[in-house]
Amino acid sequence: VGTRDDGDAALERELDMLMARVGAEVPADRKAGVIAGYKDIKRMAALLRQPRSAAAEPSNIYSLTPCLRRRPT
Amino acid sequence: MSASTPLHELSIAEAGRRLRDGTLSSTMLTQHALARIASLDPLLHAFVLVTQERALADADRADRELKSGIDKGPMHGIPYALKDIYATAGIRTTCHSKLLIDNVPADDSVVEAKFKAGGAVLLGKLATHEFAIGGPSFDLPFPPARNPWNLDHFTGGSSSGSGAAVAASLVRTAMGSDTGGSIRGPAFYCGTVGLKPTYGLVSRRGVFPLSYTLDHCGPLTWTVEDTALTMQVIAGHDPLDPASANVPITDFSSDLGQDLAGLKLAYPRSFFATQDGISPEVVHSVDAAAEQITRLGAVVEEVSLPDFQLFNACGRVILAAEAYAIHEQDLLSRPLDYGRYAYQRMMAGATLSAADLTQALRLRRELSTAVNEGILGSYDAIITANGLTPAPRIDEFPVDVPPMSTLQTIPFNVTGNPVLAIPTGFSKSGLPLGMQIVGRAFDEPTVLRIGAAYEVASGWIAKRPSLELPIAV
Repeated sequence: VGTRDDGDAALERELDMLMARVGAEVPADRKAGVIAGYKDIKRMAALLRQPRSAAAEPSNIYSLTPCLRRRPT
Repeated sequence: MSASTPLHELSIAEAGRRLRDGTLSSTMLTQHALARIASLDPLLHAFVLVTQERALADADRADRELKSGIDKGPMHGIPYALKDIYATAGIRTTCHSKLLIDNVPADDSVVEAKFKAGGAVLLGKLATHEFAIGGPSFDLPFPPARNPWNLDHFTGGSSSGSGAAVAASLVRTAMGSDTGGSIRGPAFYCGTVGLKPTYGLVSRRGVFPLSYTLDHCGPLTWTVEDTALTMQVIAGHDPLDPASANVPITDFSSDLGQDLAGLKLAYPRSFFATQDGISPEVVHSVDAAAEQITRLGAVVEEVSLPDFQLFNACGRVILAAEAYAIHEQDLLSRPLDYGRYAYQRMMAGATLSAADLTQALRLRRELSTAVNEGILGSYDAIITANGLTPAPRIDEFPVDVPPMSTLQTIPFNVTGNPVLAIPTGFSKSGLPLGMQIVGRAFDEPTVLRIGAAYEVASGWIAKRPSLELPIAV
């Protein structure tokens, strides 16, 4: 079981790798905020993984059916 | 309206009537606004550019046209202002950023072109968070806007100048943009009305993008009627905006003045009331609004929505991915030309994978179905809180790390529904509180109907910020 410091250091190493992959040199005085943003988006990306079948497509994002119920023209 | 109503408190409809009966000229209205801006804006920093010459020329033209019987509609002769991400031909458009500090577009955004065609009067360009994402920052070319209810407090963002300018009665209608709550946040914190229209109803062409599939353009105003009148001018299909919806344009004022009998509203109270950090004042205020709406004739029933954190994760991942894609080249090649907050927020997008974005889009469909078919298949609208707390102090924000948002707005960027933000009272400290009224896609008239009925019944509209003016205007 790692300590909290180990976790933060691992997170920073991950971020360094990801930044190197895209060719970014993060200014040193801005790194704390980039790490905080990475930690937050990583937590949110995990939340996206919900149980769903392979047929659950990312299409038809907007459903117009309800609005078409209302206003006859 | 009484004869003693100050000019800056006249609504668009009231000013329009007086412009047409000859008791007021657009020039008088515009000069009054310019004097008020000169007096108050040094405190508020709502404007990054005041277009005085253009405004007076627009006003003079409107006066001549109205006198000769030419009537271009509800905004003819009425001053307005634009968040500084709306392109204005020949007028600097900076996105509040060093990167675009000398940017003078050749063409107007579609919204600006529609205001021009409608004979409206441009007062100037308004402060924003850098590229509509940064935060209230002090490392940008212009200072952050200040909240007219208390200058030490945040306006909300990113349409920060729009919220401040409308709340301080510098202008009746100010355009904002809303990707995760950037119209509804400033409306909430500054105590104004704000409409995020249905995705695709107002053209985004010529408005600097933050996130293609989440960006919405809409107005902030003092009254619901002024929002309806502004929408009448700016809505419409734009074949050159790939997301523009080709739908008939409705009369946005058609349902104003009706009571709420026959309407059935969903109230997902646990959606916001159970969240960590929520102010009891917010819960009480939205509960009271729901009761008021019931007294106006609507049926209000508690319902459940999917967890807010799912909407938030979905919206934030899409926003981060799209914003990074838009800014990638500049973020990598000139990072220090961005302010600290905008850079830090957008770099999160560089860490996402293609699978992350695909999972977000799959979840987006599920959440959209839950709102549009699960709730709005049975209810005419949803009411919910706009944020968890009133406006925080600007000096509470951390220097090194961007502040976390406590707004409850991003779910409806994910789903694309129209949402009206409207004040629901004040905290003990005197800061505005508010709620969101969420409607079916393209059913702005019902959302505006509910908002207008509540606005009249609640009476919050009568309370305005008391600003100490260096000179009486």
